[in-house]
Amino acid sequence: MSATGSSNPEYVNSRVRARRAALFDEEDYRKLVRMGTGEIARYMEETEYETEINALGARHSGVDLIEYALNRNLAKHFHDLLDWADGQLYTQIANYLRKFDTWNAKTAIRGVYSGATAEEIGTDYIRAGEFDDDLLDKLAAAGSVGEIVELLDGTIFDEGLDAAYEEFQDSDVLVPLENAIDKTFYEHLLDGIDTGTVDRNTPTGLYLEVLQAEIDFRNIRNALRLSRTGTDLNPDEYYIEGGKLFEEGELRQLVGSFDDLVEHIRTSTYGDDLDEALADLEDAESLIQFEHALDTALLEYSDALSYTYPISICSAISYILAKEREIENIRAIARGREVGLSVEEIEQELVVT
Amino acid sequence: MIDALPELTNVVLDSHSAIPKEAGAALAVGLAALGTGYAQRGIGAAAVGAVAEDSDNLISGLIFTAIPETLIIIAFVTIFVV
Repeated sequence: MSATGSSNPEYVNSRVRARRAALFDEEDYRKLVRMGTGEIARYMEETEYETEINALGARHSGVDLIEYALNRNLAKHFHDLLDWADGQLYTQIANYLRKFDTWNAKTAIRGVYSGATAEEIGTDYIRAGEFDDDLLDKLAAAGSVGEIVELLDGTIFDEGLDAAYEEFQDSDVLVPLENAIDKTFYEHLLDGIDTGTVDRNTPTGLYLEVLQAEIDFRNIRNALRLSRTGTDLNPDEYYIEGGKLFEEGELRQLVGSFDDLVEHIRTSTYGDDLDEALADLEDAESLIQFEHALDTALLEYSDALSYTYPISICSAISYILAKEREIENIRAIARGREVGLSVEEIEQELVVT
Repeated sequence: MIDALPELTNVVLDSHSAIPKEAGAALAVGLAALGTGYAQRGIGAAAVGAVAEDSDNLISGLIFTAIPETLIIIAFVTIFVV
């Protein structure tokens, strides 16, 4: 509702838990992977997604319909979350939901860069973040990438974006802009938490722990990708501060040797959770399975924390993560069915806990 | 010093205290009511949340909200003891 007053974790917690329990489970996914896109849309119409499918059914069809319905539903649920929360809880959830501001900013930049119409960009937005509709519409209607950078003045993305824009003007690739946005988001995640003094057994401490895990996993993912592809990009450019796994500068050495990197992760605090995945990684050719293992580990980690400390933001975060997974899973199924992947191939793409 | 304790207790009990017995009982009931209210604040909020998501939770929500009532009921006994 607003950032004033005291938090109301009891109320938010019980609503969030009810919704968490209502998410699709393994059984649903097993049915979904055997359906065509039309059937998936029908199946969704009988569940949680009824309103969105009905609202969009006239304008879109097939995979697009599913995708837009998913995005809209996601936005609705996260809006609800902000509606319920008060006080400090609201601030923390809002901080976390800025994730969608990064998504929207990137969507706008990519859309404008590729010459998409304002309406096309508008349908790809996930309206769940801090940006209001007005700003989002202006972003979509912007004539050039430079205009977007100007519009983002005064938001948290302001600081990194100007330098990135110069780089973009030199090279005409979007990567520096997107990196700048992502990095700013992750570095602002820990705003307002004093990482040095906070007690691990308080709600804030646990909140910090989930966020650090997320940052660490993001760093692991980037490092492994860089290491696997063997490019000579400077890993420090992709390094996100705030995690506890890597120190700044340490990454450069580790990326050089794949085995050292894996060993570093294995001996860290996440070693136990990722043990199996790391063993697979050493034989496997692709990183995809490992990245899914990272996602699963993060989900389980946040779930575990939400049980240790029910009166905190942890259950809300665990719900946000789980909901996002569900959206991505359904999208993977729909896209996979459309291009004719086999059931087994699609099942490999799913992250189910 | 320990020998003196029973005597001291008697003195304290006999003397006319600042708070009359009836007022003490009233305070006890009132404070217990505050405690009940505080406990119900959290449970009630959670229960309303659960009912809003699924009205099947109404019965269990009501039961859990009523549990702290035991506090005030037990405190009520004080009135008859005095």
